[in-house]
Amino acid sequence: MNDPKDIDHVHLDEQAQSLVPLIAGASTFHDEGDTETATKRRLGIGFWIAIGWIATIVTAAVLAPWLPIKDPDANLIQPGERPPYSPSSEFWFGSDQDARDMFSRTIWGARISLTVGFVAIAFGMVVGGSMGMMAGYFRRRWDSVVSFIFLVLLSFPALILAILITSLMDRTLFTISFVLGVLSVAPVGRVARATTISFADREFVLAAKSLGAKHPRIIVRELLPNVVIPMAALALLGMAIAIVAEGSLAFLGLSVEKGATWGKLILTGAGTRSLEDAPWISMAPIIVLFLTVLALNFAGDRLRDYFDVKETAL
Amino acid sequence: MTSRETGSVQISRAEATEPLLVVDNLSTHFPTERGVVRAVDGVSLSIKRGESLGIVGESGSGKTVLSRSIMGLLPAAAIRSGSVRFAGTEILDLPAKRMRHLWGAEMAMVFQNPLNSLNPLMKIGKQITEPLKLHLNMNRSHAKATAVRLLKDVHIPEAEQRLNQYPHELSGGMRQRVMIAIALACGPTVLFADEPTTALDVTVQSQILDVINEQRTDRNMSVILVTHDLGVVAGHTDHVAVMYGGKLVERAPTRTLFANMKMPYTKSLMRSIPKLDNPSHTRLATIPGRPPDLVNPPDGCRFAPRCAYAQDRCHDEEPPLAVADDPDHYYACWYPVGSPEFEARDAELRAAGDPRVDAGATI
Amino acid sequence: MRYWLTRLGTSVLLLLTVSALAFGAMNILGDPLFNILGPVALDVDNPESVELIQAAEEQYNLDDPLPIRWALWLGDFVTGDFGVQFSEDGEPPVRDLISERLPRTLQLLVMAQVLAALIAIPWALWTASRPNSKVDRASTITSFLFIAIPSFALAVMLKWALSIKLSIFPLAYVTNDTFWERSFQMLLPAITLALPAAAIYQRLLRTDLITTLQEDFILTARSKGVSRRSVLFKHALRSSLFSFVTIFAINTGALIGGALVVEQIFLIPGLGRAIVEAILREDFPVVLAIVMIIAFAFVILNLIVDLIYSLIDPRVRSS
Repeated sequence: MNDPKDIDHVHLDEQAQSLVPLIAGASTFHDEGDTETATKRRLGIGFWIAIGWIATIVTAAVLAPWLPIKDPDANLIQPGERPPYSPSSEFWFGSDQDARDMFSRTIWGARISLTVGFVAIAFGMVVGGSMGMMAGYFRRRWDSVVSFIFLVLLSFPALILAILITSLMDRTLFTISFVLGVLSVAPVGRVARATTISFADREFVLAAKSLGAKHPRIIVRELLPNVVIPMAALALLGMAIAIVAEGSLAFLGLSVEKGATWGKLILTGAGTRSLEDAPWISMAPIIVLFLTVLALNFAGDRLRDYFDVKETAL
Repeated sequence: MTSRETGSVQISRAEATEPLLVVDNLSTHFPTERGVVRAVDGVSLSIKRGESLGIVGESGSGKTVLSRSIMGLLPAAAIRSGSVRFAGTEILDLPAKRMRHLWGAEMAMVFQNPLNSLNPLMKIGKQITEPLKLHLNMNRSHAKATAVRLLKDVHIPEAEQRLNQYPHELSGGMRQRVMIAIALACGPTVLFADEPTTALDVTVQSQILDVINEQRTDRNMSVILVTHDLGVVAGHTDHVAVMYGGKLVERAPTRTLFANMKMPYTKSLMRSIPKLDNPSHTRLATIPGRPPDLVNPPDGCRFAPRCAYAQDRCHDEEPPLAVADDPDHYYACWYPVGSPEFEARDAELRAAGDPRVDAGATI
Repeated sequence: MRYWLTRLGTSVLLLLTVSALAFGAMNILGDPLFNILGPVALDVDNPESVELIQAAEEQYNLDDPLPIRWALWLGDFVTGDFGVQFSEDGEPPVRDLISERLPRTLQLLVMAQVLAALIAIPWALWTASRPNSKVDRASTITSFLFIAIPSFALAVMLKWALSIKLSIFPLAYVTNDTFWERSFQMLLPAITLALPAAAIYQRLLRTDLITTLQEDFILTARSKGVSRRSVLFKHALRSSLFSFVTIFAINTGALIGGALVVEQIFLIPGLGRAIVEAILREDFPVVLAIVMIIAFAFVILNLIVDLIYSLIDPRVRSS
């Protein structure tokens, strides 16, 4: 059967394929439309808005000491008025009970919250990513050991593990980031492992092997670039999760001891009395935190769709 | 059985002066991003009570969409026009809510892949009794007894035990028998069988076709058998309709068709019937070229671009359905098999050793 | 059978590892003696203190090597003896504290999950039967917002809006009130936990339902004349429930964390409050007991999910 018929065979199948969704669609009540697949290959305007917001927050956080904003710790008592002050041209986000400016506190809070989020996910990426890649590349015993470690880590609800460790340590910026980083090792590692496995048997890896490339070279030169792309999407999502986790820890009294974080700012405004008198104390950081988490989630989601990362691996 | 109240649709069979099912100029279009797909384009046919009709064509010829269009089982986006009369009643414009009283009760369908077509999480008994309770208001024990009888009708051994089994516990052939039992449950007057044997082993294929035929005779039921395989319709249908590119291109009593086929396309299909020495499930891909694009169909005869006998006229003018010697035999071709033009071209091709002409094929 | 044995074995191994890690962390990172006795533990020159230290070491087996202490503790733990609280004269025993606090957290979780399922299933059915309609798109955005919002942020906003501004829900949880009064006081916290959970369930169930609705057997059901509603409920929903059960169980772990935090905001004296109080007092037996109970619950929950799976899917059952 080595004649032109074979080519026709392919064509026929194509045509048949194109009708399959039509016929299969007969079972749905409404037509699905192809909008989902159409938008899938573009990042879209929403993605860039999200990235813009993240960039703004990060810039503000980094430049906080040099920005023309009030001292976040100064008690700016207004003559003749008792704090807390509601939002005004003087205090954009209002002030707390100690007459400290919520706007500048929110920006300074971003410094710690974003650092925690960034360091945590960076740790997870480096440690979890390399563990997962090793497991996925070498398989065998390495794989079973690493997989069991991941399983143990995942068998705790993450927050419980964080509580366990943070309650035993001095809660500095470093330790909190470290703990949240440990928590992200397993989820990140699993994706790295699954992605590596899916690439480890591809032709280009086999070709490198057959040319006598050593393992480290193959991992770094051939596999890493392919694993990094889906991991980037995961990093954004992971950063959002770490920022939220810091907030949760703050509510349990387990956040960074020195300095304001978003979680601690919200906590100070979350008491019944504060909510009655001065809801802005908690609402301002909530809104900024929510927008940031939303932007990270959205950008991560778009990236994941864009690179078509399988959700099952997560 | 004279007349039966089926929901709000009054089906009276006593005064049926016309055939049970009459399809007139039926078209089904799907709007897509690429344009409108004309999956079925002006098809007319009819079928009498107790008759069986084979609808034959390649994949993509529109035969499956045609059968589902007649029954009304299409996605919401599909646009149908023309007319479908069932027992004298126009059913094309009936909403799904009212069609539901016909589905399962008066018309039923058997699908290609029995494993996917049966609910994997529901016991077989429940799947058979579901329409019985729905349409015939049977109580549980009555429905169960009927289910056992139905399973026996389609020759499933140990019928009682099967009721408590799940589809995955049965063989492919058994599953398809169960599908048929479900379709037959409420005694429909028309059974659509959409490639009922394609997913099955060669050995069980003819058994399944025999069961369908047997039940057709027993129940005086009409059967519409959709298949890509002319070999399947040969022994099991009274009439054959050949579809190409969404159009009906030839229609005749089965015997007449095989004795005296007019369309070169039908002839090509004929050549692709699996011979004994071919591996099973040999595709119809042996016709060179590809089926027409249903969004932008070619001018003239839709088969012309692939037809070895096509002449200028075929590419420009669309041939109407013409009547052959047998008044029940219609075909859409300018130069049908047996015409002087066809014979002349045939001789030329044979002399040139064209691969599209099978030297051995003599009809 | 073999599968279940392996499955059970893994779970036990998992719990042993988890408990060893937790216990080890507690004893290596913390100083148990200091936690029991306070500053006295460091006062090794004073004979009175030394006596106290020796008594404490005796009582808590502190001079045994770590693995033996772990084994002793684990033996006590599985027989229901969670030990004594370090501070406050060891009264009440940890066990009593847990049995007072655990039911409240449990009730909060159950209420949240029931609410979430009650919201998610109709929501998913509604959107899945009209995919990509305006309603569906609006719902996709809504669920995205709810998934992204942290539970503490939602809790603070709901408390402010519904309890303080609109006074629909009570502000306090009163332990002496009747069960129904307390259930009502717990409703807003439960809603807080339920909304994001419902959004997660809805998103998953909707996708799954859309896929299921394109299966051939759905067409078969329609060709039998089954009504649209029955097709959705009897045929499509049932096979989509697998993924629902899975995510439902997995998300319970996340909900536990959320519950601990939400308890702080709505002042419900459950496990979350207990753990915060214990952390403030550095009362490690309490922390350890709560952590272990939650880990236990988590592992057992996963086992149960597997069981339910085999019960609702005949294909898994027979293999």
